[in-house]
Amino acid sequence: MKANMRSEQLLAIVGIFVLCVVASARIQGQTPAPPQLSPADKLIVEDFEKRAKEYSKMREALEEQMPKLSKEAKPEEIQTHKKQFQDRVRAARAGAKPGDVFTPEAATLIRKMIKDEFKGKERVELRDTVLKESDTKAVPLRVNYPYPESQELLEMPPTLLLRLPQLPKQLRFRFVSHSLLIVDRENGLIVDYMTNALP
Amino acid sequence: MKRVISSLILVILLALTGVNAQNNGARTNPKARSNPPFTLTLPNKESGVRFLVIGDTGTGTEKQQELAQVMLRVRQMFPFEFALMLGDNMYGSEKAADYKKKFEDIYRPLLDQKVKFYASLGNHDESNQRFYEFFNMDGQEYYRFSKGNVSFYSLNSNYMDKKQVEWLNDKMAADTATWKVAFFHHPPYSSGAAHGSDTKLRQIIEPIFIKYGVNVVFAGHEHFYERIKPQKGIYYFISGSGGKLRKGDVKEGSSLTAKAFDKDMSFMLVEVDDNQMHFQVVSRTGETVDSGILMHQRKNGKSTS
Repeated sequence: MKANMRSEQLLAIVGIFVLCVVASARIQGQTPAPPQLSPADKLIVEDFEKRAKEYSKMREALEEQMPKLSKEAKPEEIQTHKKQFQDRVRAARAGAKPGDVFTPEAATLIRKMIKDEFKGKERVELRDTVLKESDTKAVPLRVNYPYPESQELLEMPPTLLLRLPQLPKQLRFRFVSHSLLIVDRENGLIVDYMTNALP
Repeated sequence: MKRVISSLILVILLALTGVNAQNNGARTNPKARSNPPFTLTLPNKESGVRFLVIGDTGTGTEKQQELAQVMLRVRQMFPFEFALMLGDNMYGSEKAADYKKKFEDIYRPLLDQKVKFYASLGNHDESNQRFYEFFNMDGQEYYRFSKGNVSFYSLNSNYMDKKQVEWLNDKMAADTATWKVAFFHHPPYSSGAAHGSDTKLRQIIEPIFIKYGVNVVFAGHEHFYERIKPQKGIYYFISGSGGKLRKGDVKEGSSLTAKAFDKDMSFMLVEVDDNQMHFQVVSRTGETVDSGILMHQRKNGKSTS
C-alpha cells in the first residue's frame, strides 16, 4: 500500500517536472527538439548519413574539375553548368540503383519517423498536399535521372527535417507521390528514392 | 475647462496620426481607397529605406507585365531602391530563355534604373537561381543584408533544415539593427482556402522570431494580398499576386485577416523611417488597396511602444 502511494507520488512529481520543462520551453519561445533515437536506430542513421556523404564526396570531386559558377552568373552559364554537371555525375554513377542510400533498414526507420511526425489531421493535410495539390506527376522514379525542372519541388515540412537523418548541404529530401527522393540541388539528379514513404 | 481642452487635444492628435479603432496594430489611411488613380500615401523621405515587395511573379504573362508597368510608374513618384522577391520567381521550365521571359524582359526598365532585386526561393524555384546575377543571393539559399537601420533575412522556407535554423539563430543573436525583417515564400499565417497557414514552418521559426525580436515578415505562396492581425507581436504580410491571382481565395470572416485583397494582382511599397514602417499596397489598375503605418514594436524581444 505504502509502496503504491510512493510510486504515485513519484509519478506525480515527475509529471509536474515534465510539464514545467515543456511550459518553460514554450515561454522562452524555443524551437521544439526532435525525439531521441534508440542505439540501434542511431546506427541505421549513421550508416544512411555515411552513404549520403559518399555520394556527396564523389560529386564534389567532379564539380571541382568544372569551371566554377560565379555568384553573378548569366542564365546561359547556369544552364550549361547544370547540364555538364549532370552528364559527369550520370557517367560516374552509371551502375547506381535504388537502395544505394535508402537501405531497407533506413527506409523502414524513415517510414516510422514520417508516420510519427504526421498524425490525424496533419497526416490528412500532408497526403492532400503531396497527392492532390502538387505538380510532380511528371517526375520519373529513376535513380540517376534528372528531376524535371518544370516540376514543383514540394516544401519539406521543417519539423520532419529536424527528425530525419541529416543530409549533406547539396542533397535534399523531396516527396513525390508516395515516395521520398533524395535530389542533388545543383545538378537536379535523383540520387535515390524509397517507396511507400507517405503515411 | 481643463478636461475639455485635454479632450480636444486628444481628438486632434488622433485625427493627425490616423489611429483607427479596428486597425489591429496598423494605422490605416482612410484616403487610400478613394483615390484611384495612384496617389502616394508614403512619406517618401530621402532618409527612409524605400523598397518594393513582390511575390509569385515568374509567369512571363501579359498581366505580370502590366503590374510591372504600374511599378515603373509608381517609381517616378516613389524611387524605391530595391525589391524583395518572395519566391516562385520562375514557374515551369528554367532554361536561359525563361530567365529572360519571366524576369528580365518584364523588369528590364527597373533593372536599367539600377533597382536591385533580392530573391528568396519558392516551391517552383531551382536552387541554382541563387547564382543568378540579378537575384543578388550571393550564391546562398538564405542570406542576410542590411539597409540603413533595417536587417533583411531572406530564408528558404522550402527547405528549412537544421543548418538553416542554426544559421538563423546565430545571425539574429548577433544582430543589433533596429528593424528585423524576414522574407520567404511560405506564410506562417494565412487565410487562403487553397493553402492556409504553414503551421509546421511556424512551429520552427516563430520561436526564433520572437526570441530575437523580428518585427515584420513578408511571405508569398498564396496568390493574393493579406495583412494579418499582429501575431505574438509580429506583423505578417502576404504579397503573392505579382504574377498569378487566385481570385476570391481569402476565406471570408477569417479571424487572422486585418485586410485582404484577392480581386486583382498587387504589390507592396514599403518605407522605413526611424521607428515607423509605412506601407502601401497597389493593384494592377494602380488603385491603392491598403496602406498604413506600423510602429516599431520591440527590441531584442522587448516592447518599445
